[in-house]
Amino acid sequence: MAKARALDKRRKSIRNIRKITRTMELIATARFKKAMDRAHAATAYTERITSLVADLAHAGLEVSHPLLEGRDEVRHAILLVITGNRGLCGGYNSNVQRVALPRWRELAEAVPSMLEISGKRGIAAFKFREIMPDETFIHFEDKPSFEEVELLANRYLDEYVTGNLDRLDVAYTRFESMSRQVATVETLLPLGELAAGPAEPAGGPAAQGEAGARQAGTQYEFLPSAQSILEEVVPTSFKVKLFKCFLDAAVSEQIARMVAMKAATENADKIIKKLSMTYNRARQSQITSEIMEVLGGVEALKK
Amino acid sequence: MATLARPSAPAPVGTHIGQVTQVIGSTFDVEFPEDSLPAIYNAVKIASEHKGIKVELTGEVQQHLGGGRVRCVALGGTDGMVRGQDCIDTGKPVTVPVGKATLGRVFNLIGEPVDGRGPVEAEDYWSIHRDAPDITDLSTKTELFETGIKVIDLLTPFVRGGKAGLFGGAGLGKTVILTELIARIASAHGGYSVFAGVGERTREGTDLWLEMQEAKIGDTGRSVIEQTCMVFGQMNEPPGARLRVALSALTMAEYFRDTTGADTLLFIDNIFRFSQAGSEVSALLGRMPSAVGYQPTLATEMGALQERIASTSKGAITSVQAVYVPADDPTDPAPATAFGNLDAFLYLERSISEKGIYPAVDPLASSSRILDPQYVGERHYAIARRVQRTLQRYRELQDIIAILGVDELSEQDKLIVHRARRMERFLSQPFLVAEVFTGKPGEITSLADTIRSFEEIADGKWDHLPENAFMYVGPIEQADEQGKKLAQKK
Repeated sequence: MAKARALDKRRKSIRNIRKITRTMELIATARFKKAMDRAHAATAYTERITSLVADLAHAGLEVSHPLLEGRDEVRHAILLVITGNRGLCGGYNSNVQRVALPRWRELAEAVPSMLEISGKRGIAAFKFREIMPDETFIHFEDKPSFEEVELLANRYLDEYVTGNLDRLDVAYTRFESMSRQVATVETLLPLGELAAGPAEPAGGPAAQGEAGARQAGTQYEFLPSAQSILEEVVPTSFKVKLFKCFLDAAVSEQIARMVAMKAATENADKIIKKLSMTYNRARQSQITSEIMEVLGGVEALKK
Repeated sequence: MATLARPSAPAPVGTHIGQVTQVIGSTFDVEFPEDSLPAIYNAVKIASEHKGIKVELTGEVQQHLGGGRVRCVALGGTDGMVRGQDCIDTGKPVTVPVGKATLGRVFNLIGEPVDGRGPVEAEDYWSIHRDAPDITDLSTKTELFETGIKVIDLLTPFVRGGKAGLFGGAGLGKTVILTELIARIASAHGGYSVFAGVGERTREGTDLWLEMQEAKIGDTGRSVIEQTCMVFGQMNEPPGARLRVALSALTMAEYFRDTTGADTLLFIDNIFRFSQAGSEVSALLGRMPSAVGYQPTLATEMGALQERIASTSKGAITSVQAVYVPADDPTDPAPATAFGNLDAFLYLERSISEKGIYPAVDPLASSSRILDPQYVGERHYAIARRVQRTLQRYRELQDIIAILGVDELSEQDKLIVHRARRMERFLSQPFLVAEVFTGKPGEITSLADTIRSFEEIADGKWDHLPENAFMYVGPIEQADEQGKKLAQKK
């Protein structure tokens, strides 16, 4: 009996786990849709800003802005790692860690760098490796607001402008499509590459073609001056980019959770099925052996 | 079933003749004159011919049925027996030849040589039914017995002069481990060895016999077989034979222990068949079956055999026994009864053999009486427990990994899983006798190397090696080498 009972107990506990994973899957699906809408809304804005900056750059003007110029010598760097606050999302958090760790080692070796981590999971992972982050955030949930990101962005901008920061890298999960999210590290400051061409990574070839077509046909008149517009647009472009990182991360997290929980539910189903079979077999064989014993006893007593 | 005659009454030797009154499978009844019943356990012999069929059979008296009838277990085939055949009481239990003349020979359970090398000139014949040594004679020494097999030495250290059991279901490699132990221990061992083949494949017995002729003892140039005697009652024999063959072999081992004082090794493959044979004859003897259909006297029979395998102040018998576990269920009464009599037991697990890890010893279910700091030392104990803890935690996490995947584990648990998977593989080892299967020469790893290797793995010194590097190596340095080779191939 011991075996059958143990099997039943195990089956029960797996059923409970399955309940949790199934619920998580449904919640993640709902949250994913919301996050996706937000990301979509932001994407349109980001693309427009990007192409505007690109247009400015191609307008043949003398473009100069501190954010666009790379520093010859990098003295201070910041690595911002965006992870989730919660687990149960498959490889989402560990994938980001996997790309962030080598970059951090590289940076930390070269220059005095600061490590900033968003998300409890990332904080715990780095602490486990005895790397203490200089700044941590845990308030970015699955709906990061622009105001919160702007605060962060302004701080970076200030530090960059005052020369306390020469390079900002962000490790996050880029959302490419429903079936593809890539953990990656991008350099957001200096913004140099952005002005150089419209090849904004998330934009893809479609955006590029669009921008190219517009570039040929669109003529701008700048009022009051190109410089003043640039001063407004470039920091905004950075903020939007950073915001997009957070949005992408949020969407990716929900997708990862959805996929992981779906797989987990399926795995649990499989195990429950297998355990049920073994349990039934154990139970049946036990009954059989008991009947046999009783019958054997009866037979032996008949003489 | 009342016993009319006291078994203690001495019967005159080889004089009384009775007639067979009933034959039921491998048991038969004989009617003797009421005043000259053979004692329980006496051997009775039938040698007659009926309609051209010759019957030569030894039986053992098991019960007195009343009315001059006794019920006997046949120690050979009962084919051709008829009622009315004459049956002679030999006046004593079955005896087997003992002493140096038995070395190098192969016997059946009644002490007849079956290797075709002529009769045995034995100095003495001993009855196979004997008492266990007195409690005052038992040796109390406890000493570790090194085998050079990592998993055994680390987690289930054998006791010199103790009993070790190899538990496992069908096809998990019990016989291979037993053969390996013979190859390792007997070849390095100065004393005598006795092998009992109980109800296993006859082919395996032949293989072993040939192998022992080739294997040499140390540098002496003599083959292992010269220090060994073998007793077989294999699968093809009737249950009575399988029931008694272990006792015959044990008697020979006892003689070496008691008269020469030499350290004697006793290998039994497979002790479960002894219980099984007992259950086969039990019903025929008219006993009511007990749990799972086994004989009600299961524990008594096992105890009588196991208690005799003991080390005394005169000499030691170190015994290794294979125990078949029916349907991989260790709670089955037969293995469960054997289990309690052993100092060290190795439990072979199917899920481990399915991973291709041999010997498929379950590091958590196996254990040893002397895995205790008092006997093996603090360091050995601490490391063995550490390895077990790691593997235990890994096993607990396995359900979670199966459902949620390894990514959901905490960093600490990930590290445990990482190391546990390496330890698990490092417990495999190439065997001397399995060279033809693995293509790797056997590896004898000293206890010190074993302990050091596992300590280093537990400390995380070898976390960088791929898992495959740990498969089938001796000490950890070989895993390092294998890791480098694997890296080169890539």
